[in-house]
Amino acid sequence: MKKKIGLIFLLIFACADEGVDGNVKDTNAKAPFNNIPFEVSGLIFSNDLKDTGDLNIIEFLYYYNGGGVAIGDINNDGLDDIYLTANQKPDKLYLNLGSLKFKDISEEAGISQNSSWSTGVTMSDVNNDGLLDIYVCKVGKYKTLNSSNELYINKGNNKFEEQGEKYGLNFSGFSTQASFFDYDNDGDMDMYLMNHSIHTVYSYANSNTRTTKDELSGDRFFENIIVNGKSKFVDVTEEANIYSSALGYGLALATSDVNNDGFMDIYVGNDFHENDYLYINNGDKTFKESSTEYFNHTTRFTMGVDIADINNNGKLDIYSLDMMPYDSEIFLKSGGEDSDKINQIKNSFGFQQQYARNHLQLNQGDYFVDAALITETHATDWSWSPLLLDYNNDGLNDIFVTNGIYKRPNDLDYIKYLSTVDFANYNETKQDSLELKLIDLMPTQNLPNKLFTNKGNLSFESVLVDSKNKGTYSNGAAYSDLDNDGDLDIVVNNINENVTLLENTSENNYIKVKLRKGENEINTNGSKVYVYAGNEVYFKEQISVKGYLSSSTNDVHFGLGQKEQVDSVKVVWLDGTKSLNTSIEINTRVTIEKENTKDNDYNSLSKTNYEEFAFRHFENVFLDYEQDALAPENLSKEGPSAVHADFNGDELEDLFIGGGRNQKPALFFMNKDGSFEKSITDVFNLDSKYEDTDAISLDIDSDGDLDIYALSGGNDYPSGHPLLEDRVYINDGKGNFSKLESRMIRTNGSSVSSYDFDNDGLLDLFIGNRSVPGAYGLAPQSYILKNKGNNIFEIYAKARFGMITDSKWADLNNDGLVELVLAGDWMPITIMSFTDDGKFIDKTRDFGMGETNGMWNSIEIMDLNNDGNLDIIGGNVGLNFKWKASKERPVIMYLDDFDENEKLDQLIFYDFFGTYVPFASKDKLVEQMPYLRKKYTDYNSFVNVSGIGDLTEKAEDEIINIKYIYELRSMLYLNDGFTFSPLPLPKQAQLSTLEDMIIDNGNLIFTGNHKSYVTELGESSSNSGGILNFSDIDNITYESLKLPKAIRGRRIIKLKENQYLIISNNGRSYKTKQQKEGLRNE
Amino acid sequence: MNRFKHYIYILSIVFAITSCSKPVEPIEISPEVFHASVDKVMEIQIHDIFSPPVASRVFVYPNIAAYEILAQKTQEMESLEGKIKELSAIPLPDSSMNINLELAAIIAHMELSKSLIFSEEKMEVLQDSLYADWKEKNEPEFNSAKTYAFEVINHIKQWMDNDNYNQTRTMPKFTVDTDDPSRWQPTPPSYMDGIEPHWNKIRTFVLDSAAQFKPNKHPEFSLEEGSKFHEELMDVYDVSMEITKKGDDSEEIKIAQFWDCNPFVSVTRGHFMFATKKISPGAHWIGIVKIASRNTNSNAAQTVNAYAKTSIAIADAFISCWDEKYRSNLIRPETLINQHLDPDWLPILQTPPFPEYTSGHSVVSGAASTALTAIFGDNFAFDDDTEVPYGLPVRSFKSFNLAAEEAAVSRLYGGIHYRAAIDEGLIQGRNIGNFVVNNLKMNFE
Repeated sequence: MKKKIGLIFLLIFACADEGVDGNVKDTNAKAPFNNIPFEVSGLIFSNDLKDTGDLNIIEFLYYYNGGGVAIGDINNDGLDDIYLTANQKPDKLYLNLGSLKFKDISEEAGISQNSSWSTGVTMSDVNNDGLLDIYVCKVGKYKTLNSSNELYINKGNNKFEEQGEKYGLNFSGFSTQASFFDYDNDGDMDMYLMNHSIHTVYSYANSNTRTTKDELSGDRFFENIIVNGKSKFVDVTEEANIYSSALGYGLALATSDVNNDGFMDIYVGNDFHENDYLYINNGDKTFKESSTEYFNHTTRFTMGVDIADINNNGKLDIYSLDMMPYDSEIFLKSGGEDSDKINQIKNSFGFQQQYARNHLQLNQGDYFVDAALITETHATDWSWSPLLLDYNNDGLNDIFVTNGIYKRPNDLDYIKYLSTVDFANYNETKQDSLELKLIDLMPTQNLPNKLFTNKGNLSFESVLVDSKNKGTYSNGAAYSDLDNDGDLDIVVNNINENVTLLENTSENNYIKVKLRKGENEINTNGSKVYVYAGNEVYFKEQISVKGYLSSSTNDVHFGLGQKEQVDSVKVVWLDGTKSLNTSIEINTRVTIEKENTKDNDYNSLSKTNYEEFAFRHFENVFLDYEQDALAPENLSKEGPSAVHADFNGDELEDLFIGGGRNQKPALFFMNKDGSFEKSITDVFNLDSKYEDTDAISLDIDSDGDLDIYALSGGNDYPSGHPLLEDRVYINDGKGNFSKLESRMIRTNGSSVSSYDFDNDGLLDLFIGNRSVPGAYGLAPQSYILKNKGNNIFEIYAKARFGMITDSKWADLNNDGLVELVLAGDWMPITIMSFTDDGKFIDKTRDFGMGETNGMWNSIEIMDLNNDGNLDIIGGNVGLNFKWKASKERPVIMYLDDFDENEKLDQLIFYDFFGTYVPFASKDKLVEQMPYLRKKYTDYNSFVNVSGIGDLTEKAEDEIINIKYIYELRSMLYLNDGFTFSPLPLPKQAQLSTLEDMIIDNGNLIFTGNHKSYVTELGESSSNSGGILNFSDIDNITYESLKLPKAIRGRRIIKLKENQYLIISNNGRSYKTKQQKEGLRNE
Repeated sequence: MNRFKHYIYILSIVFAITSCSKPVEPIEISPEVFHASVDKVMEIQIHDIFSPPVASRVFVYPNIAAYEILAQKTQEMESLEGKIKELSAIPLPDSSMNINLELAAIIAHMELSKSLIFSEEKMEVLQDSLYADWKEKNEPEFNSAKTYAFEVINHIKQWMDNDNYNQTRTMPKFTVDTDDPSRWQPTPPSYMDGIEPHWNKIRTFVLDSAAQFKPNKHPEFSLEEGSKFHEELMDVYDVSMEITKKGDDSEEIKIAQFWDCNPFVSVTRGHFMFATKKISPGAHWIGIVKIASRNTNSNAAQTVNAYAKTSIAIADAFISCWDEKYRSNLIRPETLINQHLDPDWLPILQTPPFPEYTSGHSVVSGAASTALTAIFGDNFAFDDDTEVPYGLPVRSFKSFNLAAEEAAVSRLYGGIHYRAAIDEGLIQGRNIGNFVVNNLKMNFE
């Protein structure tokens, strides 16, 4: 009890402390960093920029991309030293004197003190002599700039000699960053050189130019060849299959063994429309660019990247940065996601799906899934350097992000209004002075850097970096325990402001590992270090190039929290040999030397386990957003339907699968050996024109066999259209079907289910409908049909429940009368009780489900805790979604014809980091509702729109319909016989939408993903399917179904014990491979 | 010395205003006030970024309102009632009030314009200074004119609001069928949706229907060498290569730039983006109306007549042209040349975001020049300084028709239209112009 009070007190105290600096909506929690002034540290360095006629943001698109930081111990004195790069000033090298005091030794060390344009910097022992060398990238050939990349060879005694030419690394072009690593496991360091492009994107049409070599902009790969004991770098770009074209706007670089096979891979983050590249090392001196195989989507304007294990599962995850704002005002007036049309155009030109927000790519073994939205680490504004480091030494990697752009060229007012009025004749004359004026007009806004504390279980807390919370324009950054006090300090390179030195004052336990490969070799890049402490395993890979333009310490740092000891430290060296050390003292720096053990310690991360099934669903092309421009999702891509039942009386369960519009429904008979054989059925072939959304089997004509009720749907025709008509197929008992000639319901159907609610021995039907085509949001009529026998159904009841997606029948309160349970968009899980006077009564509130409004896709009903009451599992959108919702802060949709043009408008508001914002952009809104053009003649007037009152004069009670979403999580609702109490499904099951599920052996087997959201929301594709085990209801466990990435699972069917068939929307279908023994827990 | 004189002059005005308590002098409206209002509308259109068809709508209704008011007074001007679709007679002025109809006409013009543009405060800058001035001169006269102007505005607005403009705002967007190689595709760099796909549903003014002057079909799409279409495609490419070689000082490039009339050309440099904005094709011809009116010393009524007739011809021209554009849905030369001939080719002008056939500038220029010729006569030579504020030089023309022909062919030089769209567009526009001229009596001529 006492403890509880303490906790509450703490929370209150924390709240009272709110708003240290005012305008930033971070939580008030602060990290243990002290910002050490340069007067104290001696780190006197500022990357000052001065516009010149030749070099400014208009003439050079990467003018504000800033400088980098490299940290490493150049004199092996146990203190990491610092190299800082500048664009228009000389670089500087600072010697660490201890206690966070630094001395500028640039000149005596031999660092060139000219003012060529430096970008990225890397410290690495290039020549294997035990001394860290320094490689500096340059914008070397542009207008007045003329220089080459520099390689400073460490001669000892803090002296360096520039030997770029001698080593063959004096490249001159548009270099961003280099990484040294051993690509062929021969013990020496090879080099990837990432260059950027400087030309303007005019069109997307030329993705084939990816293979066209560009001398200045194309990336390069160099192999280190030792001749007579001397290193020489040879350009093997082409041989290694590295793209080297001007299409690559390379800004982000990290090299890491992401698939844990003992060969280093490369992540290159490209700005603009070009894909990011993931080069998987083939192990034979070649790479295979595998971005589309490994990622569902990536950052669009990728600017920085780091690779580390973020969820302590022993696999390397990737965090890449983009430019999505988190401040609602900046968000509403900045260019953001592409329109659906532009997105479609880019995809058609062969570019991968990309979103302009940060991505946290979780390693699944065979591929990655993005978890930035569920962790809320997706928006850090115009961001440069991500560092995944355990700043608070609690054993979990946290996230540090630098951000800021000195001038905001994506300000929409600037693009549309400010920049144009006086400068229409820009192309004609006086460019220089006009440019200066244009730049002057460009908005400028600095922001504090961001820090996210990892709370475990995919949950992060945004905290202030330091007490000053000062805005900066920050670019490169690197970390190291600079004062050797056992925690990681951070150095940040800023534009027009002194470097930031953040002293970390964490007090938790730690262990620091220095790796060596024998007397003189310190090239340990790619080694994996595992620290075992009790039940925990902490895993880190030793890589130093990370973040942006920067390289961090070579020491491998582990936070241990309050743990007083570790059991052992294991190092798996790149070649697979390992060193195990069991007597490790904590709170020290230990050096581990490579041993020449032989055993290879690499396990394949590959986890998928499936085979393809011979049905592929095809969707017709219909672009809902061209009809319902303000709707958040497209409803024309539903289905397929599937029925698993014995149609030919051989006691083997056959399959009926209904296709998309213009695809024939398919009938498969099951053979004795469990395989399926497709049957050619004329009656189905004639019905390809329907879009099948759901189907069930039941004996309609009372002849003892199973007939099919096939539900037609589609958002592409108005209700009442013949192409929306449902069909009944009558079985002759041998699996031969004929179509019942009868007028059926013609609506956009979504769910059909059957139950004999009136106990007359005949199965009755529920027909649930998805939408009123052309009027997203309105609830269509759904029907309960009573089976009168002799193939006759009559409408027993109808109601506008909502945008139905699923329906189930069950007696939830054990009163012998059935309940109809309904799921859908913008509605609660709705419970209709059948009463003894023959009515269906809405009992949603009585059952405690009144405030469950969600975007429900599916429901399943089962007694999960064996208390004799049926529980409900609801499949929802999940948490990995741009919208957030709660009872207090719901997503709200206002439906009305606000502009009186006889077309329904959907005005949606949602909570954007604490402020309500309209979902539709200003451009979209004024296009749909022209009267708003007058009210919001520019974007600045639009940034404070936060509610319906800003968009219409109509009072809320005059609006036709207002809908809410309170719940986006997939949920379990436990039934105590009278009411339901909510319990969220585990985080892993919230990574994507949950589209269909079945109960098998007390487990819930589900399939997920949904790609029909508009681009602004983005596709949900982070979980193709999984198994939830409910044997301990307080500790529901999760296991992956091991399906291919990003399939759009719509139907899941149990084929036999532990084997499932997943039928996808607009894609292939898969069977999981049968597991020998039940569940295999990870 | 001069400047000093000027200073005294201003002083004396101020003095006059402040010293007399209620000066009563009649308010005289010169044609320059109408020019000022039209100029203001043009300036705001540029700021607010009106697409060419919508810009034509912004011009035409205020001009009609002003015309109808003046027609109450001027014998030579006959009301457009019954000649323009669904336009009924405006309310009559209270004859006992002796309303200053010129004043009412300019007030109606400004107020209706203000309701059609977005940035109202920019219109108010002009209005406020004029209203203050008129009020000082003769407040009762101003008030009664304003009251009447608003009666007319309400009448015109009711008619205007039924032109289907609002309904067309939310009609489905134009769906691009990417499988059909002849069909229009969005073009770089902005890949904008096709604008105003439903403009043919806007009520016409004089035309019976949007399709009344449906042009001949364009040459059948074919990439076969020797086909007419292929020949025209190659012509665009060859002409562009040839004049690019000649350089920026070539007559062709000067012509292309002079008649660009693209309201929003987006320029991108990395993350840095801005737009060069110009007046629309319709606005350019409205500018020529001003030049012609001034050169002929037209009075206010003549000026309003010229604006009204020309803007009606232009508005109908856009409806007719857009009807054809989204009927034929023809692909732009830029898309085909990039796909099949030269992936790096750029047209000299930025391709505007709608289908190719027919050329909007050709149709509009054909219609406007025909109306102007009817009003001011053929062989009316003029110096066209309309584009000077946008950094372009003055060009001189011997007649409206020759100017229209140059405007039309500028689209070939600019690399954004095939020859057929220009030739057939000009014919289409002249047909519309003649129809408008024949149906609206032009008594001043």
